[in-house]
Amino acid sequence: MQLKRVASFTVRTLIRLLLLLIAVSVFSFVLVSLSPVDPINAYVGAEMLQISPEQRELITQRWGLDEPMITRFFLWLQQLATGNLGMSMVFNQPVSVVIANRFQASLQMLAIAWLLSGVLGLILGIVAGAKAGSWIDRIIRFYAYVLASSPTFWVALLLLIIFAVTLRLAPICCAAPPGVLAQDVTLWQRLHHILLPALTLSIIGVANIALHTRQKLIEVLNSDYVLFARAQGESLVGIIYHHGLRNVILPAITLQFASLSELFGGSVLAEQVFAYPGLGKATVEAALRSDVPLLIGIVFFSAIFVYTGNAIADLTYQIVDPRIRLGN
Amino acid sequence: MCLNVKSPSYVTGLLLLVQMVSACAPAAQQTTQSSSSMTQSNSQQTGSSEQIVLAIGGESEEGYDPTLGWGRYGSPLFQSTLLRRNENLELVNDLATNYNISEDRKVWTVNIRQDATFSDGQPVTAEDVAYTFNKAAESGGLTDVTVLQEAVAIDADTVELRLKQPQSTFVNRLVTLGIVPKRAHGSDYARNPVGSGPYKLVQWDEGQQLIVEANPTYYGEPPAIKRLVFLFVEEDAAFAAAKSGQAQVAAVPQALAVQQVEGMKLYDVTSVDNRGLLFPFPRSNAKTTPDGDPVGNNVTADPAIRQAINVAIDRQALVTGVLEGYGSPAYGPVSGLAWEQPDANIQDANIAQAKQILTAGGWGDKNGDGVLEKGDLQAEFTLLYPASDSTRQALALSVAEMVKPTGIRANVQGKSWDEIEPLMHSNVVLFGWGSHDQTEMYNLYHSKAAQGEFYNAGYYANSAIDKTLDLAMGAPTEAEAIAFWKAAQWDGQNGFTAKGDAAWAWLVNLDHTYFVSTCLDIGERQVEPHGHGWPITANIAQWKWTCN
Repeated sequence: MQLKRVASFTVRTLIRLLLLLIAVSVFSFVLVSLSPVDPINAYVGAEMLQISPEQRELITQRWGLDEPMITRFFLWLQQLATGNLGMSMVFNQPVSVVIANRFQASLQMLAIAWLLSGVLGLILGIVAGAKAGSWIDRIIRFYAYVLASSPTFWVALLLLIIFAVTLRLAPICCAAPPGVLAQDVTLWQRLHHILLPALTLSIIGVANIALHTRQKLIEVLNSDYVLFARAQGESLVGIIYHHGLRNVILPAITLQFASLSELFGGSVLAEQVFAYPGLGKATVEAALRSDVPLLIGIVFFSAIFVYTGNAIADLTYQIVDPRIRLGN
Repeated sequence: MCLNVKSPSYVTGLLLLVQMVSACAPAAQQTTQSSSSMTQSNSQQTGSSEQIVLAIGGESEEGYDPTLGWGRYGSPLFQSTLLRRNENLELVNDLATNYNISEDRKVWTVNIRQDATFSDGQPVTAEDVAYTFNKAAESGGLTDVTVLQEAVAIDADTVELRLKQPQSTFVNRLVTLGIVPKRAHGSDYARNPVGSGPYKLVQWDEGQQLIVEANPTYYGEPPAIKRLVFLFVEEDAAFAAAKSGQAQVAAVPQALAVQQVEGMKLYDVTSVDNRGLLFPFPRSNAKTTPDGDPVGNNVTADPAIRQAINVAIDRQALVTGVLEGYGSPAYGPVSGLAWEQPDANIQDANIAQAKQILTAGGWGDKNGDGVLEKGDLQAEFTLLYPASDSTRQALALSVAEMVKPTGIRANVQGKSWDEIEPLMHSNVVLFGWGSHDQTEMYNLYHSKAAQGEFYNAGYYANSAIDKTLDLAMGAPTEAEAIAFWKAAQWDGQNGFTAKGDAAWAWLVNLDHTYFVSTCLDIGERQVEPHGHGWPITANIAQWKWTCN
C-alpha cells in the first residue's frame, strides 16, 4: 500500500516537473528572443568597426543566429533530446560544462548559507517564542524585522564595507587568494573567501524562519496540552523539547525548502557584489549578452533545483508528522 | 565605442559607494603605515621578479585562441605574431624574418625564423602559420581575415598569404594574429593554449585570475619576471588591491587617478581612445536604413552648423574639466598615430569665428530667442549619449553649454545603446572609437560602409574622400597607404575633418591611467587603442623588477 503511494507520488512529481520544464523553456526562449540586446553587437563590442560585414556573417553562422526563432527552438529541442544543452556563446564551452564548473563554486556557498539560515532561524525563533515579550524576544524581533526589510545586495555591500574595506578581515573578491595555485589553496583560505558571501545569503532566510517559528511556538505554548504538561510540573525546556519542536519544525522545513528559490536568486546578487565566480555571475553574463543556450540551461537547472527542494519538503513532512501521508 | 556589457547600474552605483567609503579610509591607513615601517615593507614584498600581480581586467571569457580574436591588442602572451608594433607603433619583425608583397598586391610572402618552438618543444613551421590564417579566416571570431583567399606553406619557412583583393590594412593581421600549432589546435585549445609566446598558461580560474609563467622555450630574450598573475576584478576592487599592496599594476578610472597610492607611481598613458560627436550628413527623410530607421537631419546637414560646432568647442577645457587633465584634445579619429594628419588641427574655442561661419551660412536670430534660424529651420538638434557612461554625459552637457553662445541649441539626452541604435542615423551621437587598425577610419567615413549599422552611422558621403580611402586600402604597403590616409583627413582642399566636411566633431582622447609599483620598470608606452587595461601588456616580456 505504502509502496504504491510512493510510486504514484514519484510519477506525479516527475510529470509535473516535465510540464514545468517545457513551459519554462518555451517562455524563456520567447522572452530572450524578444530582448533588445543584439548578441552579435554584445560579442563584438568595441571591435565593431574592424569587423567587416562578411566577418559578421561568419559570426552569425557560427552561432546559428541566421535561422528564425522557431527553427532555432526546434533545433535546440532536438539537441536536448540527445542530452546536449548546446554551446555557450559567452564562454565558448558546452553549456553543461559551464553550469557544472560554476555550480561547484556556488554549491558550497549555497549549502553554507542554507544551513546557517535554517539552524540560526530555528534557534532564534525558539528562543524568542519561549521568552515571548521579554527583552531578548524584542531584540530578536527587531533583528528579524530589520533583516526581512533589507535587500540582499545592500546588506552585502554593507558587510563588504565593514569587513573587507574598513576592518580588512575578509577578502574583497574571488574564491581564492590571488596567485595561489589551485592545489596550494588551503581549506582555511577557501572558508575565508566563502564566509562573507555565504553569511550574506543566509540572512535572507533567517528572519522569515525565526518569525514563523516564534509565532508557532507561542501558539503551542498557549495550547491546552501544554497547560496540562505544565500542571504536571514539566519544565519549559522539556515542554519545548517534547511538545514544541515537532510542531514548530514543520513550518520551518516548509520555509527552508521553499527558500531555495530565493537563495538561488539571492546568489546572483551576492556573487555580483563579492565578485564570487559562481553560477549567479554566469547568469548575469548570459542575460546581458543574450547567450540563449546558457541562459536557458541555467533556467532549466534552477527549475530542477527548486522543484527538487519542494519535492523533498513534501517527503519530509510525513517523516516529521506521521499524520500527514502521501496521496492524502 | 563601448558596447561592453556593464553590470546592472545599481550594482555599479553601489560599488561606487564602496569605493567612496574606501576613499575615506586612507587617512587612518597612512598613520598606521608611517608608524610602523614593517607594514610598509610587508606590502612591498608582495611583488618581486618572481611574481607580480596585475589588476587590469581584460579577461577573455572565450579563452585564449587567436583564431577567435585573442590578442587583438596588447600581448597575446601565449602565442607570438609574425610582426609587432614597437613603442612608436612602427612595424618590426617577430616570428617573421622578412616579408614582401607581389606586384598585383594580392600575394604576401612571409619568411619565418627557424629557431622558434612552441611551448611543447615542437618547432614553429610555415605549415602552422598557413593553418592559423586559414583557420582564422573561416572561424567566426573577433579577428577579421575574410579578405584571405588561402594561405599556403611553400616550404619549411616560407608561407604565401593570397588575398581576394589588395588590402594594405592586412598587415594588422600579421601584427595581431598569434600563431597556433596545427597539430594541437582542437576545440579545447582556447583553454589549453600552446604557443611560441613569452609566457605559458599555468592556471585559469575563470572569472577570478589567470596565472602564467615564463615559457622556457621562448626564442626571444627570456622575460625578466617569472610569473604573472592577472586579477579579473572591477576597477574599484583593482584600486583597493593596489592600495593594499596586493597588486603591482592596476588600471583605474581617471576619477581615481588623482589619488595617491603609497609605493606606486601613476602612469598616464596617451591613447587614441577618442570621443566625438557624429553628425547625420544627409538631409532628413532622404532615405531610410534597411531596417526602416530614419536617416539624416536637416540642421546637421548644413556644413556651416558642423563647422561652427567644431570651431566653438573648447577641447582643452573638456580635458581639464571633464577628464581631470588625463586626456588630450582630438581633431580627428587617429590622434597620435603615424597616419594622423597634423594639418587638420584647427584653432578652437573661437566663438567669434563660429558666429561668422554661421552668418555666412545664412543663419540669423531674427526673433531674438537666442536660437538661430534659417528659413523655417531652427538651429536645434538632439545630442544622444549612452546613459551608463558618466564621462560621456559630462562631455555632452559641456559641449551643449559651449555651443550655446553661438546660437545653436543641443538638447542632451541619455539613452541605452538599444534605444540609440535606431536614432543614431538621424541625431547627433556621442561616440567613442580608437584603434591601431586603419580599417576603422575607412569604416567611419566610406560611403559604402553606411548600411544602417555602426559603420558610418551618419551616412557621410563624399566621392573624393571615398576614392582616397580606396587608394589607401589598395596601397601596397602601410608606409605608402599613410599618405592617402592623411589626405583623406585633409589634403589642403578636401577632407572629412573640421577644415573640410566636418563630418564629426572630435572632442578628446582619454588617457589610460594605471598605478604601477615604483619597483616595476614597464618601459616606453605605446599610444594605446580604445580599451583601458590589456593594451599596457604590449611589451610585457620586457618588464623588469628593479628592487630586491
